[in-house]
Amino acid sequence: MLRLVFRNQLKHGLRSLCTIGAVAVAMFLLCVLRSLVSTLDSAVQASASNRVIVQSAVSLFVSLPESYYSKIVAVEGVEKLTHWNWFGGKYPNEQQPLNQFGVRMETFLDVYDEIVFIDGSRQAFERGGNSCIIGKDLAAKYGYGIGDRIPIESELYTRTDGNVWEFDVAGIYESKTSNVDNMTLFFPYNYLDEARDAGLVQGPVGISIYIARVAPGYDPVTIMAAIDEIYENGPQRVQSSSEATFQAMFVSMVGNIPLLVNSIGLGVLAAVLMATLNTMLMAAREQIHDMGILKALGFRDGHLSMLMMGQSLLLAIVGGLLGVGAAMLAGPFIAYSLGTNFPGYEIHQSSVNLALGLSLALGIIAGILPAWRARSLAVVDALSARA
Amino acid sequence: MSDANISIQSVSKAYTRAGETLVVLDKLDLEVPAGEFYALMGPSGSGKTTLLNIIGGLDRPDSGLVEVASEELSQLSNSELAAWRADNVGFIFQGFNLIPVLTAYENVALPLGLQPLSKSERHEHAMYALELVGLADRASHRPAQLSGGQAQRVAIARALATDPGLIVADEPTGDLDRESADSVLELMSRLSAEMHKTILMVTHDPLAAESAGTIVRLDKGRLGSIDHKTAAPGAAAAGKGTA
Repeated sequence: MLRLVFRNQLKHGLRSLCTIGAVAVAMFLLCVLRSLVSTLDSAVQASASNRVIVQSAVSLFVSLPESYYSKIVAVEGVEKLTHWNWFGGKYPNEQQPLNQFGVRMETFLDVYDEIVFIDGSRQAFERGGNSCIIGKDLAAKYGYGIGDRIPIESELYTRTDGNVWEFDVAGIYESKTSNVDNMTLFFPYNYLDEARDAGLVQGPVGISIYIARVAPGYDPVTIMAAIDEIYENGPQRVQSSSEATFQAMFVSMVGNIPLLVNSIGLGVLAAVLMATLNTMLMAAREQIHDMGILKALGFRDGHLSMLMMGQSLLLAIVGGLLGVGAAMLAGPFIAYSLGTNFPGYEIHQSSVNLALGLSLALGIIAGILPAWRARSLAVVDALSARA
Repeated sequence: MSDANISIQSVSKAYTRAGETLVVLDKLDLEVPAGEFYALMGPSGSGKTTLLNIIGGLDRPDSGLVEVASEELSQLSNSELAAWRADNVGFIFQGFNLIPVLTAYENVALPLGLQPLSKSERHEHAMYALELVGLADRASHRPAQLSGGQAQRVAIARALATDPGLIVADEPTGDLDRESADSVLELMSRLSAEMHKTILMVTHDPLAAESAGTIVRLDKGRLGSIDHKTAAPGAAAAGKGTA
């Protein structure tokens, strides 16, 4: 019976190949798109529970005064405090700005202890000036190493002398968690501040966000409330949130990606289901006479149902495996091409499981009608039919 | 099955097409002793194929009793009837009815998959059946690669593979040239004479019918006549029929 399943599909090799191809493309897309959502989710899930983000209550794009540092760090339970400033610079030959941040160097690595050096040293980074640390994926992408000078042009912080910014690589890091990606460049905020003092830079003044590390035993919610209360009456109100909430909000700024992905996925699935069902209905019609022969020989209705269901499952599962396999092979290339737009992108196991599960379901659904028709055929009628 | 005697009692069958009822079998009685070779003849629409299908368990009568090898077929469910066919009946059709995507060997081995046999036993049985019809050397050929006569002999091998007591053949020589037809008929005569198979063959061909020990003529769903040929191979027993 298994041999018949394979032979019947091989009989119309091109048609079977096209159906398998359609399933493979659908499952490839599903894997790749679902992994985008999973990547965004994993950053939220990997957020540290002991970090609090403080931003302007007006908008993330409104800077906070540098003077807030001293009051926030003095809040009981704040163990360490650092801050980030989005730099918005482009690497040579790049069209889109990528991730660079000016950070409070003295405390940055204490607050983000998931960042570990795989080359260079913290001391070299903390010598200040134009030193920087870069993620391992960024280093690999552009071939940067320790001591290399990276030219960056920022549209946010433009230099008045017409030169580009230059940063010397003091360290290459790897993040132990996915909430910090490995495609980012961090440099001392002081370098930017000093350039502004020297009249070399035009751009926004102030701090994008403050990040507080909560001391053990303290409740982050209480600390957030305490920080918000300090500036309740101005001069500029702040909004504190957990890192997970902040990450989720940041993801939602990109758009409702889960809804978009799910809509595309459902559409693709519906299309491929119809294609597979069409193939199976044609196969069932062509095999009516053969099914009559099998019934005459003593094969039961259940055997015939299995024959049709087996063919449907064969198409769907082979297509699913090919699609998932192709997605896994293409994963690193997709991650590379997405760059910092989706840092940490990878084909997630949950996406693979979903695609394989849907392939199985697709095969079963597309096989139900042909299987039912096969079992309800009268032997004499089937024998008198001609394909 | 060693004792495939057939007993048909008052069997009727009618079809309704376009609001019109067509009686195909009309209270037909027929007895076929085990091991006999019977030919069913008659004009188109006389009910030959319908009777063959009912005896072979492919179709059910509207009324009457059909007992084959001591089994009352109307008592069997569809599933039981399928199992009964697998164990007791070998089919030979006019158009050979081989599965085109399988080789000659695989076609012959197909019904053996329903028997409680090991893989090696299935192979042994299938090859024996192919040798019996003289086509062991064509085992790996697909039906499209065989001549009509060879394809029908493969179909006979498939019908024999499970060693059934009853073989029903619907116009087995209808698509064959004279030489191939003679070869197939000679083979069927041997099956009856040497292996004691009960054979029921529908044919329009008087020459083909001559191979049988008994010729039953049907007319408008009723029994016309029964001719026993004592000289024919396997024609040792008698048949009884009433119109």
